[in-house]
Amino acid sequence: MMLTLSLVGKDVVVELKNDLSICGTLHSVDQYLNIKLTDISVTDPEKYPHMLSVKNCFIRGSVVRYVQLPADEVDTQLLQDAARKEAMQQKQ
Amino acid sequence: MSDSGQQQQAKDVCQPEWPENGGEWSDGEDGTNMDCGLLQAMAEEDEEIDVHNEETFGMDLDVHGTTEAPGDLLQFGDLPPPPPPPPPPPELKPPSPHGSPSPPRQRPQYLSRAPPGQRGRGRAQRGGLGRGQMFDDPAVMRTVQGRPSIKGLDSAIVDCGDAMYQNTFEDDYMAPSSRKTRRVSGSILQDSAIVCVIDGHRGQHPTSNFLDTPYPVSPFRGRRGELRGSYPRRQFGHRGLSRMHPSVVPGSPILSRQPLTPRQHYNQTGGFMFPTNRPCPSTQSLPPKMMQHRFGANSPRPSPIYSPSSNSVQHFRYPGPVTQLHPQHKRLLSQKQRIFQRKPDNWDPYCNLMTAKEKEWITRLQMIQLQSEHPYLEDYYYQEYYRRIEAKMAEEELGIRGKREPLKLTTPYITKTDSYTPVVHIEGSLGQVAVSTCYSPRRAISAVHAVQGKGPHEEQKDIRQQRLEVLSKIEKLFVVLLEVEETERMKTTVLSEAEERRLREKTQAKVQHIYSQLQHHEPLDSGGEFLPFLLVSKGKRLLARLLPFLKQDTALRILSIVTCNLPTLMSRDTEEALPVLYPPLRNVIGGLTFSQLIEALKDFTSDSLTCESLTLACQNKFGLSLLYALLSHGEKLLSSGVPLEPSIGDFETWTDTIFQVAGQLSQCSLVEPLLLPSNLLTLFCRYLDKRTVHQLKSNMESATGYLALPS
Repeated sequence: MMLTLSLVGKDVVVELKNDLSICGTLHSVDQYLNIKLTDISVTDPEKYPHMLSVKNCFIRGSVVRYVQLPADEVDTQLLQDAARKEAMQQKQ
Repeated sequence: MSDSGQQQQAKDVCQPEWPENGGEWSDGEDGTNMDCGLLQAMAEEDEEIDVHNEETFGMDLDVHGTTEAPGDLLQFGDLPPPPPPPPPPPELKPPSPHGSPSPPRQRPQYLSRAPPGQRGRGRAQRGGLGRGQMFDDPAVMRTVQGRPSIKGLDSAIVDCGDAMYQNTFEDDYMAPSSRKTRRVSGSILQDSAIVCVIDGHRGQHPTSNFLDTPYPVSPFRGRRGELRGSYPRRQFGHRGLSRMHPSVVPGSPILSRQPLTPRQHYNQTGGFMFPTNRPCPSTQSLPPKMMQHRFGANSPRPSPIYSPSSNSVQHFRYPGPVTQLHPQHKRLLSQKQRIFQRKPDNWDPYCNLMTAKEKEWITRLQMIQLQSEHPYLEDYYYQEYYRRIEAKMAEEELGIRGKREPLKLTTPYITKTDSYTPVVHIEGSLGQVAVSTCYSPRRAISAVHAVQGKGPHEEQKDIRQQRLEVLSKIEKLFVVLLEVEETERMKTTVLSEAEERRLREKTQAKVQHIYSQLQHHEPLDSGGEFLPFLLVSKGKRLLARLLPFLKQDTALRILSIVTCNLPTLMSRDTEEALPVLYPPLRNVIGGLTFSQLIEALKDFTSDSLTCESLTLACQNKFGLSLLYALLSHGEKLLSSGVPLEPSIGDFETWTDTIFQVAGQLSQCSLVEPLLLPSNLLTLFCRYLDKRTVHQLKSNMESATGYLALPS
């Protein structure tokens, strides 16, 4: 979660479990990884027109499949190493 | 309730007590216990009450003037020719139909039932209610101004000396004169009625006697007087006409509330006669008849306990002109009435709260509200229901049988047209298409695999399997690498020699482990050492991070592999991860000897596909950069003045390579290298003519976008 916290203010793409991808500025994150996005737009095809008028949204953490982070905002190597280490610790 | 008991209680009741204990009121009519003076007072009060009632409920007299069948005690129809005929409601004469056949029946009943409680009741009430103050109920209307009209009346129950139905039908057979009397004062009529009824009750006179009294009265006053006269004739002592008259004055205000002796009497009789909780047949449609509610159990009752239900059930009188019942409904009601009339009643201490008049008044109020010009609009279902019952009964009467059964509600069975396909199947797919759900998110579909879908399944599986194996191996090695790096970072801490050595050994062991693992992969036909890992971007990264930890010879090995397989690597580097190898390799190159360099360069140019590889290299960032790095290093070596130890033919190779490269570089378009060494041009200058160099320079510059170097 610290990672997502460090990304507050950056543009992310949140892909939901219902295949809806929402691009927006990360406003806030909480312990459940609920995400608040501001100034959102539906990425990919605009086949979700009901989102056209939505500017800000709150996404429940449980429905998120991926959060696509901006590549330049994140040190992917560090992130990967950290993930590996965490995985190792969890295995142990 | 025995008479004796009642008689005894009559004495007790002669006190200013609220007639709560209606049951205990005794009948003092027998005369033995009655005080004449008391009776007189009671009579007076009754008169006043009657006057008030007359004024209040005077209108109802019209309603019940249907048949003045003399013997019809329960006749409450309309007057024969009501001077302003109230809109004769079509359904008006409900009492009549049942009245005509029933009176003879009812009368005896009435009379038979009268004794049990009536006498005692009445008397007791008379005795007990000799005090007007007992009925000082603010809810009760005290004055009636002018001609009473239903609308103008207060909704409070008026204390009137009405008996139950006896009173009402008194009104009825007052009917002939009721027209006149209505104008005059309804209460007066009532009074007369009451008197008659009372007389009838008290004396238990035969019906004829009872009925005789009101009939001959045509002028109201006269009748009244006569009635009143008859009053004292009975047991009540004298009720002087004079006394009556003041109260006869139409519109005269009720002077005081009178004890409801007679009414109470009748009320209680009514309670006796009619079971209080007899279900009223008309309850469904006639709200007034449903009036079971008392006007407050604890509130001072203006009248003795009166059971509306008993009353209503008995005579089923609804105000004529205002009632608008469906004919079928009326018929049914009357039928039910007849059924119910015969049942003996149980004494209900809370009956007789209302007099018949009161009830009727309320009934009329409510029935008026039900009137409408569009019955089918206002209450369609009521009309429809009774219409259907009518039709059904008519059919039954006609003997029509075998009618169609009641219609059943059938919903047509619609076969489901849509069939649900639980599994999405795409033509040519291998089984179930991966549908994304919450619990199994969409699997990543690799486009490459789709393209390669020609081969047999096993091959593909193998390839996939191998790839997965490689990847998992890489991951495991990565963990080790991380540990190595961690230890390396920790080296800043001062440790003892032994520990340092130990750590170093450990690290080396790990590194070696990784190296060896990378070197040899299970299916050795996958291209040689390191190659499977190098083909995977993750593997490249791993190797890139491992290289610093490797000793020079091992690192060189890797370099050579890279350079040898550069075309392959370049072609299969879909993710452009090769550049990640550049920095460490550059370092490695920096440590090369000239010979090693030449060797490496040979890899670039040696095989028959040299040109291609060179060309490819020129097209590839990493390749070009690597080339540049090599050349640069060579230049550095040459110009460094360090004594080279070239092998035989190194220099030729070198110069050949230079020329080849130069030629290549000048021809094909170059990509921007990761790093453009500064000494390249110098190198080229040494070997090439100015023109070529110039060309090279321009070429390189165009690629890089900045000046390579001053020549």
